[in-house]
Amino acid sequence: MTVNRNPKKSRPYDTPPKRRRSLIPGGTDSAATGFVVAAAVWLAIATGIGALAIFIGIVPFEFAFDFGIFGLGFELNERRVDAAFANATVYGWLSNAGFAAITFMTPRLFGRPLAGEKLVNVAMAIWNLALAGGIAALYVFDLGPNAPLTAIPWFFGGGLALGALLITGSFLATAGADIRIGYISSWFAGVALLGLAGLTGLSATLGLVDFLIELPPLTVALVSVFIERAIVTVWLLGMAYATLLYLVPRATGLSLASAGLGLLTWLTWLALAPVSAVAELRDPQVPYVVTTLGSVATILLLVPASLTVINLAQSMSGRWSAVFGRGALAFAAVAATFLLAAALLEAIGALASVRAHVAGTEWERGVFLWAAYGAFSLAALGLMEHAAPRILRRSWGPGVLSGATLWLAFGGVAIGGVALMGAGLAEGALLASGAAAEEIAAALLPYRVAGFLGFGLVALAGLTTLVNLFLMYTSGEPADYTVPGQAATAAAGH
Amino acid sequence: MTVHTPIETRSGGLPPWAILLTLLVFLVGGVYLAANVAGENPPLAIPGESAAAAPGDGEPDPAVGEALVGQATPQCASCHGADFAGSGPFPNLRGVSEGAVSENLQDFAAEHPDNWAELWIAGAPEADGIDRLGMPAYGDQFSEEQIASIVAYLKSLD
Repeated sequence: MTVNRNPKKSRPYDTPPKRRRSLIPGGTDSAATGFVVAAAVWLAIATGIGALAIFIGIVPFEFAFDFGIFGLGFELNERRVDAAFANATVYGWLSNAGFAAITFMTPRLFGRPLAGEKLVNVAMAIWNLALAGGIAALYVFDLGPNAPLTAIPWFFGGGLALGALLITGSFLATAGADIRIGYISSWFAGVALLGLAGLTGLSATLGLVDFLIELPPLTVALVSVFIERAIVTVWLLGMAYATLLYLVPRATGLSLASAGLGLLTWLTWLALAPVSAVAELRDPQVPYVVTTLGSVATILLLVPASLTVINLAQSMSGRWSAVFGRGALAFAAVAATFLLAAALLEAIGALASVRAHVAGTEWERGVFLWAAYGAFSLAALGLMEHAAPRILRRSWGPGVLSGATLWLAFGGVAIGGVALMGAGLAEGALLASGAAAEEIAAALLPYRVAGFLGFGLVALAGLTTLVNLFLMYTSGEPADYTVPGQAATAAAGH
Repeated sequence: MTVHTPIETRSGGLPPWAILLTLLVFLVGGVYLAANVAGENPPLAIPGESAAAAPGDGEPDPAVGEALVGQATPQCASCHGADFAGSGPFPNLRGVSEGAVSENLQDFAAEHPDNWAELWIAGAPEADGIDRLGMPAYGDQFSEEQIASIVAYLKSLD
């Protein structure tokens, strides 16, 4: 017998109770999900600003207006756009991707839920709000003698340091004493996180002290260039190693070829990465031997890069067909190639005779493009390819959009990087020959246009990443994956 | 039951070739360091203080000139040496206070005894026709007053 119910006559207790949602999510993988989304949004923003930065090199323009209050005003010029690009790339895209990698990998490597997941979500909000405010402030406040990555005002920089500190605390609490026997990726991630927290804290402290007692510009500039370089070599490079050494065994379903090589990679990187930053302290007040030591460390960073590529190549053995596909392994293979190439280019650029001709030219931006958008970004995109279906619990394989992201990013970085490095070499040669500024600008125009077009492709890769994530969430079929800290009822991967 | 998904490794040991390769590369780095111990760093190009905005638009000041020398692109030290004592075809700048430092400038210095160095560094029209021998013209990077400060600094060198 069928009972027909009139919905208008339903009693209150017939309606299902409303789900009460916490203001701060704390479910499993909620932090990783948030960081993945934030990273993808920042990737689109950063590549957009980067395209603008290169465009200003082609068609120079400035724009300014006063707010009419406290003497403040909005100012858009090459230096400010460059600073915004660097911050959006490093603190926005790459750091959120690094946090996503840590919050995804750590529970799976240690077999327990992330400690203080709600606190990590709060840290995510603090980090991203501080960064958004800081980047907006770059167009308003005086940048002083700061390098781009320390130019954010100290009160926003303090937010970044606090966010990094909270995430570091969560990582250490999750790993606990097991980190001593943990997988090599957790060692890289642990040192990189501690380094980020320390360096962002130092940057904010520097800004605060300068605000209170007005330090000599040279002192601020020296500390500033050291912090900027150390953030790249300790935080970004460390996370690239952590990500690739996790991703390749997972994506191949095989073991890592050699734990010994991984350990040697970690030791050499640990010894060389902070020393490499000393090379930036080029001033008569710093002994020449100290900066030379930094240059040697930069050259020797080729060692951990080479060891990693060899280790990963041995780990991929037997899965070469996947490398030429469009899944996570293809991203990892391209990222590892760029990692080695960028290390080689930085080593060449650290030689005194080469540095004298390319310092301050477009060469530096080209090498940064290969390192940041070639090595670090493709490693992060590879991990997102692997992690996103697992944290969003969607059945979603590598499709056309994944392939488009890979090829757009690869092609764009290759073209843009080569064009800008070529521009730098040409600029150095023209300056040495005594060419006039107009002549140099005309000669560099084709290189810069090629760089702009290349970076435009990278910007498109950022957009395809966002679209892929959106479609995965809205169209992907729900799927079960193994969840750290819960019963092992699901059979799918990890 | 807690799900633990460790990553296995095929080999735990350290391959001998990796140790040898690492030691060899570190040895090469050590040799490079030993060969590049002596010298002096150029002044740091302070971010935001571009040559155009840098101080030096007043009376010639050797201290300002010293800072500007570090901001030049390419750097003076890249050809004339970290101590400006010259190397190979690049003349010693420590004799600027005594007069022209290279043969190709003798006549030019005689014609412009008061400001030959300023005109030469700037690449002024008065210096047209003289083979610059690779010497860049800095007139587009620095103002006349800034170049005067650079010359004042060079003349202050022993």
